[in-house]
Amino acid sequence: MINPDPGSFRDPSGRVFIQDGRVLRAIYEAGRDNFETVQKAGVLDALIAKGLMVAAEPAEPGLADGLEPKPAHLLSHPLIPFISYPYEWTFSQLKAAAVLHLELHLEALRANFTLCDATAYNVQFRGTEPVFIDHLSVVPYDEGEIWAGHRQFCMQFLNPLLLWAKRGVVPNSWYRGSVEGIPPEDLSAVLRWRDKLSFTVLAHVVAQAKAHKHALQTETKEKIVKAHKLPKRSLVAMLEGLKSYISGLELPGDRSVWSDYAEDNSYNADKRAEKHDFVAAMASSVQPGMMFDIGCNSGDFTQTALDAGAKSVVAFDFDYGALERCYSRFSQSKQPVLPLWLDAANPSPSQGWANSERASLGNRGKIDAMVALAVIHHIAIGRNVPLDMAVDWLIGLAPQGVIEFPDKDDVMVRKLLASRKDIFPDYTEEAFLQHVGARAHIVEQKKLGEDGRLIVRYRRN
Amino acid sequence: MGISERHIAAFAVLTIFGTAPAFAYLDPATGSIIIQAVIGAVAGGLLYAKLFMHKVRTFFGRKTSDVASDNTEN
Repeated sequence: MINPDPGSFRDPSGRVFIQDGRVLRAIYEAGRDNFETVQKAGVLDALIAKGLMVAAEPAEPGLADGLEPKPAHLLSHPLIPFISYPYEWTFSQLKAAAVLHLELHLEALRANFTLCDATAYNVQFRGTEPVFIDHLSVVPYDEGEIWAGHRQFCMQFLNPLLLWAKRGVVPNSWYRGSVEGIPPEDLSAVLRWRDKLSFTVLAHVVAQAKAHKHALQTETKEKIVKAHKLPKRSLVAMLEGLKSYISGLELPGDRSVWSDYAEDNSYNADKRAEKHDFVAAMASSVQPGMMFDIGCNSGDFTQTALDAGAKSVVAFDFDYGALERCYSRFSQSKQPVLPLWLDAANPSPSQGWANSERASLGNRGKIDAMVALAVIHHIAIGRNVPLDMAVDWLIGLAPQGVIEFPDKDDVMVRKLLASRKDIFPDYTEEAFLQHVGARAHIVEQKKLGEDGRLIVRYRRN
Repeated sequence: MGISERHIAAFAVLTIFGTAPAFAYLDPATGSIIIQAVIGAVAGGLLYAKLFMHKVRTFFGRKTSDVASDNTEN
């Protein structure tokens, strides 16, 4: 018997199972009628054909034998290469996911179907492309029914985007802590009056916050739900309005500390070329199906790894400006790269219901290789993580990879130490090599140029 | 026979569950429900006005962007 995915329990009409490199979706009696209506109308096929929704086909009947309770239907979907969460996305990724959600909803409404929820966790990325993954969210539409997912859409898409665009505040730490998103009541308290001078903000944030507070103190919900109707043309106009507004949202003043790092850092062209060759040699020999690039910046070495044979890359950085450039670069080239935000000293935890609804970063599937260039000093010196623990974490990410070690003479390390006492006597090349050697076989090591940085390639024992 | 507490409780249960709408598993949130009709009506008006203006501009031969890709706030 296989266990269901711990993030798929909220909708009683079905559950999701991961088996043999694919996703199985069990549809139970509670969801049978809706699913059969949706299936008969061909709406899922239409959404899949438009690239809005992940593919689905009936699974072989025998596969249902191991499932308890017995499903009414069983679907099979291709696996999303790497699951990510909205609190790890950049502004542009969250915006793309929001627009996809609205487009999918509008498309479904054209066929007289709607979405029964609006959770951002139902959108995943294949490379830079968002795609909707929950086929049971599509249900028949009844004329006049209200948009059940409205508040959820605001909390999980609109409000984080508004906080980012209007106040320049990255919502992700808040979002990670409050996985259901940012409530209109809280956002309304944070926005300035001039941020509120738009119909979208006034209606979806300010008015909703007021109505919500008022309703909590007065009438019963059942009475209100029964009384309110929303004509289809109004629902469509509301979705079109949100789509148009969100598409126009921009980040205030595109500033970033590290965005220009790749251009003006201390590296000269020869050293960079050697580093590219070193990364290319690893990627070419390992041919990783999935690779991590820790500290990707705008993706130069991700590009090198792809060119040398990496099939797909999750590119992490601490800097949102760099990630935006990375996302834009690989969106244009349409290469399989998923940029995600990462604080190496505090990666995404297992959380949500029973601490398992949203997986921790280290628990999202098999990673074949990793590169960590100009990263370890930020962890070991910038965040006081003992060098052996920093090496341990990096090597634990993937069985093979490349780690660059800038020593204390390196200009970037000197910068880190300039404003603080050097309490790192063990931060040396010898100690680094010893820590790597204790955990893995050192396949190759090299100095980049004369007296340059040390770079090693390892293979775990 | 008068109306007992049991009758009232049963009536309350019937009212709650008997009128439970098709929102299935998601709590649609009361504040959201109250304002949707108003937002929907205004948004409908704005969309209509936008389409109307688009038609007017097209009629007078002014080159305009596609309404669907128009990013102006509404």
